[in-house]
Amino acid sequence: MIRAFNQDTPYDRFIKEQIVGDALGQDVATGFLVTASVLLPGQIGRDEASKRLARQDSLDEIVNNLGQTFLGLSVGCARCHDHKFDPITAKDYYAMQALVAGVEYMDREIRTPEADAARTRLKSVKTAIVAIERRLAQLVPLAGAGEVRPMVNARENVERFKPVRARKLRFTIRETNRLEPCIDEIEAFGPDGENIALNAAVTVSGERVTADTHEQRFVNDGNYGNARSWMSDENGKGWVLLDFRQEREIDRVVWGRDRQGKFTDRLATNYVIQVADAAGNWRTVAGSDDRAKFVPGSTTEAGFTTKGLGKEEAAQARRLLAEKNKLLADQRALDAEQKAFAGVFRKPDKVHLLNRGDPEQPKEEVAPALLSVLGDEKLPSDAPEQARREALAGWIADPSNPLTARVMVNRIWQGHFGAGLVQTPSDFGNNGMKPTHPALLDWLAQEFVRAGWSVKHMHRLIMLSETYRQSSAIDVQAARLDADARLLWRFPSRRLDAETIRDAMLAVSGKLNLQMYGRGFDLFDKRGGLSGFKPVEESTPENRRRMIYAHKVRREPEAVFGAFDCPDAGQSTAVRTASTTPIQALNLFNSPFTLQRSADFAERVRTEAGADPAAQVRRAYQLALNREPTAQELAEALPAVRTHGAAVLCRALFNCSEFLFQP
Amino acid sequence: MNPHAEDLSFAGRALLDRRKFLSHSATALGSIALTNLLGGDKLLAAENHGPIIDPARPYAPRPPHFPGKAKNVIVIFCAGAVSQLETWDYKPELIKWDGKPLPGGPAVTFQGPAGNLARPQYGFRQYGQTGKWVSDLIPHLAELTDDIAFVHSLTSKSNTHGPAENFLSTGFVLDGFPSLGSWVTYALGSESQNLPSYVSIPDPRGVPQNGANNWGPGFLPAAFQGTTMSSSKPVRHLTAGVSADADRAARSLLQGMNARHLEANPGDSKLAARIASYELAARMQLSVPEINDLSTEPAHVLKSYGADDTTNPDKAAFAKNCILARRLIEKGVRFVQLFNGAYASGGKLNWDGHSDLKGQYDVHAQILDQPAAALIRDLKQRGLLQDTLVVWCTEFGRMPFFQKGAKGRDHNPDGFTCWMTGAGVKPGVSHGRTDDLGQKAVEDIHPLYHFNATILHLLGLDFEKLSFEHNGVRRRLTNVEGKLIPQVLA
Repeated sequence: MIRAFNQDTPYDRFIKEQIVGDALGQDVATGFLVTASVLLPGQIGRDEASKRLARQDSLDEIVNNLGQTFLGLSVGCARCHDHKFDPITAKDYYAMQALVAGVEYMDREIRTPEADAARTRLKSVKTAIVAIERRLAQLVPLAGAGEVRPMVNARENVERFKPVRARKLRFTIRETNRLEPCIDEIEAFGPDGENIALNAAVTVSGERVTADTHEQRFVNDGNYGNARSWMSDENGKGWVLLDFRQEREIDRVVWGRDRQGKFTDRLATNYVIQVADAAGNWRTVAGSDDRAKFVPGSTTEAGFTTKGLGKEEAAQARRLLAEKNKLLADQRALDAEQKAFAGVFRKPDKVHLLNRGDPEQPKEEVAPALLSVLGDEKLPSDAPEQARREALAGWIADPSNPLTARVMVNRIWQGHFGAGLVQTPSDFGNNGMKPTHPALLDWLAQEFVRAGWSVKHMHRLIMLSETYRQSSAIDVQAARLDADARLLWRFPSRRLDAETIRDAMLAVSGKLNLQMYGRGFDLFDKRGGLSGFKPVEESTPENRRRMIYAHKVRREPEAVFGAFDCPDAGQSTAVRTASTTPIQALNLFNSPFTLQRSADFAERVRTEAGADPAAQVRRAYQLALNREPTAQELAEALPAVRTHGAAVLCRALFNCSEFLFQP
Repeated sequence: MNPHAEDLSFAGRALLDRRKFLSHSATALGSIALTNLLGGDKLLAAENHGPIIDPARPYAPRPPHFPGKAKNVIVIFCAGAVSQLETWDYKPELIKWDGKPLPGGPAVTFQGPAGNLARPQYGFRQYGQTGKWVSDLIPHLAELTDDIAFVHSLTSKSNTHGPAENFLSTGFVLDGFPSLGSWVTYALGSESQNLPSYVSIPDPRGVPQNGANNWGPGFLPAAFQGTTMSSSKPVRHLTAGVSADADRAARSLLQGMNARHLEANPGDSKLAARIASYELAARMQLSVPEINDLSTEPAHVLKSYGADDTTNPDKAAFAKNCILARRLIEKGVRFVQLFNGAYASGGKLNWDGHSDLKGQYDVHAQILDQPAAALIRDLKQRGLLQDTLVVWCTEFGRMPFFQKGAKGRDHNPDGFTCWMTGAGVKPGVSHGRTDDLGQKAVEDIHPLYHFNATILHLLGLDFEKLSFEHNGVRRRLTNVEGKLIPQVLA
């Protein structure tokens, strides 16, 4: 997205990439289609009606997004009935839905040079992990060797033994800490480090099935965690039998209850592992007998322990473990780089007009078509998926479309003046506001198309205008007639938005990292999950990038700047409110972020202005407010800077109205 | 409502300006191009739905649409879906059916295959003048039933915690819509000048499944989001942790800068608002620690809430949160959300009793019952219940049958109970009914929209008027639905 705007990708081309980038060599751009906050599989009931409703809701979001973003129309209002204010019928709505009825909210494998490079690197990382695991395995006490091995734990247990020939392996559970046993994965390794359990045939004593969560096939599917596990159907008991299909040499079995560490119940506390050779002779290779007695409540400790190892071995083990964890992190990152949440495209479902928007009340089938008010173009009911999106993109980006260019130039105008010529930027319908300068809007739209849909041309045009360059001084007479300066008798002043404040603080303190593109940084200690996000307070080069690169966690406001009306990304926000609250003041005055930036800023000022407090004050004003301090300001600041250092002045400057308002 | 639109402070309509307001009215008046009527201030005042907000004082008290019986609200939000069958919805028939399959019942519910019907896991007995049957799980709250209006026939639009919490708190299943408390404080501001108008108190065990969505402002101005604090966790960034001298020096520099800037830009009320926000922040630095200092509470009060219970730290912590809720209301805070129960955790940390309902409810009820009951008694005793509406709610109910192979109940959005008591509420009412097994609402069915509409009504707010223009839609708490539940109104 940022690259496209930087390169000034013509806006008509940009629209096509957002809607059908998979056909234009811009795979990632279709992420636009699936940006909405919809219910993910775990959040949808297992009954069919819930699934149908969730699907309708997720398609509705796509139609809404397309309509609002590009056409400035609240098409979504026609989901349940004909639009009450605009000429959009319910049939129009479903015809538009049919254009995107093959879009699924999912990750797609992408083909970019970066993704391909990640694929290659991943192979070597995987090899390195196997090599380390093989060395680590040498540092686990052997089972049945007379040493007391560490207590069994819910996350991961390694059973090492002298190499044996095995055709089959049986894991028998005799006791659990509570309820039916559950195992997320059993792995069996040969001396070469290959997990031969992956291809083994599985039989089990019995199972309590929860579809897609607990199934016997998950016990050796290579996936960890409770959501991919086997659960026995007997309290405290059960067995798993793996048949490797041929005799293989193994020296290590690794298993766990939940390698993701969330669950500690259903843990096998009394178990035995046996193998049979090709002739069917069974022997025990490991079990719980020589493990330390199980103590409930201490089950989450990490799998690997250096207990029972010599000093040198322990040090070696710790080093290897650290290396392994780093590689595992690399592996996750590389995995992620090959995919993008940009939608999966499949054969579209048939779309029906739904009575009152209710998926349980389907009426006649509706073919994909353009909104009837914009034309009568239609596609056949069986049009292929990609062709539908191509047609849709073509209609929206057509120079003769009366809305697309107007909607976009209005958004550009809004970016510069704080309010658009139409103040409801995503609603150009009857219920939206009339333009304050209709002729100007029309002219800008025509100029936009004439200049090849160049967004940068529009920026230049607007910023070089007299209207943009005029003063923001208040004329009492004019204010009486038009308080909010909608007629632009002055440049309307406004508070900077959240991201701009943060970026400006970083820039002024000399610490802004201008690295562009690529994966964003984290505001919180984790990306996934539903709650319990802890803000990252440590300052790193990565999180000193511009805030547009912050990974957004929906509904979790950023700890300092969320209070500045920074949207939570639940619903798209075409116009931000600009509220003023004491929480903003507390955050901006007291947060560790502000104090760090103030310290950085003070250091910069000292470096650039030297030890003289007066020079420091002048430099601080120049950097923060782009002007010299007045004599009075200098006099006020000097005693504070002399007593406490420049950081107090810097902290005040970051909080002052002149810094926070534009202009 | 402010009768004269010209009283609006001028650039101060950053929060809600006259033209935005016009677009609000447009729907009510049909498609008349109201922009042409800019001068018609009387018309504006008559049709104004949104509150007029002075940016310098976003928390200033504002008049309701009509005189409401309640001024403040405490919402006790039990996260995880409390079983109606183990609490307020007595189903003797279910005892007879214990262990039998439900004829024609669903094979699969939210989490998986359904098992057999299961009797209420607790005994029930009758309480008070009304003879209300309540479970032995919650003996303290049960004592209060003569003052309570129950709605037994609520339904939700989702059977999943996150979306259903959204639905309960915001009226929408998806993310991004304003919470009830945000709507209320947007409309009414606050009587407290030293505290946030809307405070959310998370459970000591953690935040609910949908976290900040439950107190988020959605697309309303951020001024109206809930501020989180609890007896154990203070407001974030209340102090900077630098020396008092350095702090004072920075503040004094800032005051000088902002005062001069305002002087140089006369008439810009946004600048005045910013100065005011720093002043309120400074007052909060004193008032927040003060309100959280429970050492001024007498021992008998701490005891009545169970805040002195050293054997049960979760209960003691929740009890302290209950006392905090009362103190906030005493100081004029408009809306307090008090959470009981945290995020999804297999029923360990909240009311999500899938596998071992009785075992887990024994724990959770200990934490909820005495403190919450003490809070309501205390409010009543101090006369605060005359102005304060107390709402007890949960995102949905639970099934009359156990899950297959488990001793717990699955999610049930088709018939469950919430209640209210206090200002404007008709005492001793049991309204609506589920079927004899407690599976589905069958009489006076009320989607949660109605419950929320009724809460707004009690505060003197018309749920159809209270609205905000967002992306071309005039949004309100109850979407395009909603009606009142007059049976619970005094």
